Amino acid sequence: MKSGSNLEKVLTEGHFAVTGELGPPKGSSADFIRRKAEILRNYVDAVNVTDNQTAVVRMSSVAACAILKQIGMDPVMQMTCRDRNRIAIQSDILGAVALGVGNLLCLTGDHQKFGNHPESKNVHDLDSIQLVQMVKRMRDDGQFLCGDKISGGVPLFIGAAANPFGDPFEFRPLRLEKKVRAGADFIQTQGVFDIERFARFMEKVRERGLHEKVYILAGIIPMKSAGMARYMRDYVAGLIVPDELVRRMETAQDPKEEGVRIAVELIHQVREIEGVRGIHIMAVAWEEIVPVIVERAGLYPRPIL
Amino acid sequence: MVITEQKKLEEILRFLEGCERVFLLGCGVCAATWGTGGEKETREMAARLAEAGKTCTGWVVTEEATCDVRTTRRLLKQHNAQVEAADALLVLSCGAGVQTVAALVDMPVYPALNTLFLARLQNLSVCDERCRLCGACILAETAAICPVTLCPKGLMNGPCGGYKDGKCEVDRERDCAWVAIYERMEALGWRERFLIIHEPKDWNAARHPGFINKREGAAAGGAR
Ligand code: SF4
Ligand code: SF4
Repeated sequence: MKSGSNLEKVLTEGHFAVTGELGPPKGSSADFIRRKAEILRNYVDAVNVTDNQTAVVRMSSVAACAILKQIGMDPVMQMTCRDRNRIAIQSDILGAVALGVGNLLCLTGDHQKFGNHPESKNVHDLDSIQLVQMVKRMRDDGQFLCGDKISGGVPLFIGAAANPFGDPFEFRPLRLEKKVRAGADFIQTQGVFDIERFARFMEKVRERGLHEKVYILAGIIPMKSAGMARYMRDYVAGLIVPDELVRRMETAQDPKEEGVRIAVELIHQVREIEGVRGIHIMAVAWEEIVPVIVERAGLYPRPIL
Repeated sequence: MVITEQKKLEEILRFLEGCERVFLLGCGVCAATWGTGGEKETREMAARLAEAGKTCTGWVVTEEATCDVRTTRRLLKQHNAQVEAADALLVLSCGAGVQTVAALVDMPVYPALNTLFLARLQNLSVCDERCRLCGACILAETAAICPVTLCPKGLMNGPCGGYKDGKCEVDRERDCAWVAIYERMEALGWRERFLIIHEPKDWNAARHPGFINKREGAAAGGAR
């Protein structure tokens, strides 16, 4: 075991994993975190906690993860390279481990231009691949990036993101391979809507044998409305939403129900693809739909390990 | 080439307030080529200042780069009378040139330009930034396309997840640096090189201010 986190146990024992996501508040309320977490409890194996997502200031990921630990849930701490240099990142990782965090998702981070402080200066002292490599070194060699010894262990299950969708497409699997070589234990992908494209991506991943070296969790984003579907299709970087799905959302009597139906269909479809070891449901601000989707996808109850 | 732009006249007049007589000095290298501080622009600037009520005691454009102390010192000496007659010096060069002049005279020296970046000149109207002077060039590893400069996140192992149709997440008008790097590697038959993980950059080499004294045999590079 790398960290012995619930997520790691679920995956290593061969279960199809389910992770959820929680965006900390634009404020200081611990109750907010607890309330959202309770909705997800027992329906997901671990909960991602975003790190100032889309460069909008929110409660720190470390603090929100600590609250999840207090109430007995397994957090996946997201860590971007946008706001901290290598000194701050390593320091925050030690703090997170001390608070019981067992999973870390290493990200580049959205550009600050999209956030609420576009006039800020970004850091990017490391990139996500260097971050993965550094955390692996901290864990396996007990060393800081500079080579100094770390006192105590850094047991972390290391994750990275993958986007199978941007064009040109050919080197998306190569970039995943870099993350695997750097030391990623699990991968969470961008939201999958275009199954055909995702299947092609996974085919390339299998060709390079990557699916045997890393646990791949396919991203699922439940759509709440036709407007959201259109917005994601037209404006969200790195997403491909086929027109067909947008049309289904537009013509549905009950768009929310249609969104759930599509999410469940997508879950069944990604499950069929060899090498997909779980799903990551991103339903920020619509957490209450997660239990419904998990149940209807036949993924409830979750394994108790 | 060091790329500059002219400051607005109002700004120049603001810091020239109280200085009636001005001597102008342009740069015959970068600023001349890019059309911000050559002979034509320096003469025009003198005319605009005259229109605004200033007296121009003279003007000159350095034949070499203004930032070369040796030639600029000589030139200032040659124009000593006109320089002495002025209350201030206005320099149409990059910031390095302005400071070169300032260190040679005991009077107020002001910049007429903003210094923007180090660029490739595509023609006399188009240039693009190409190097941020990071001090430890990685172009050998990136198919001679600089991600430190061209990727808004400065990724060493890009691209990030945000590019679309080969364009950058931050600016959809611009090519993603890492897509360009990958495509060039592919064209050169270097696909496997894309898999090399580049270690975290040593920013020590980019430490400013840079200083080199070759005679003292100091290591090259700006780390001081
Ligand atoms: S790697 Fe550094 S020195 Fe080389 S082109 Fe880029 S910024 Fe300039
Ligand atoms: S899209 Fe490309 S150039 Fe733009 S930030 Fe991402 S990696 Fe850098």
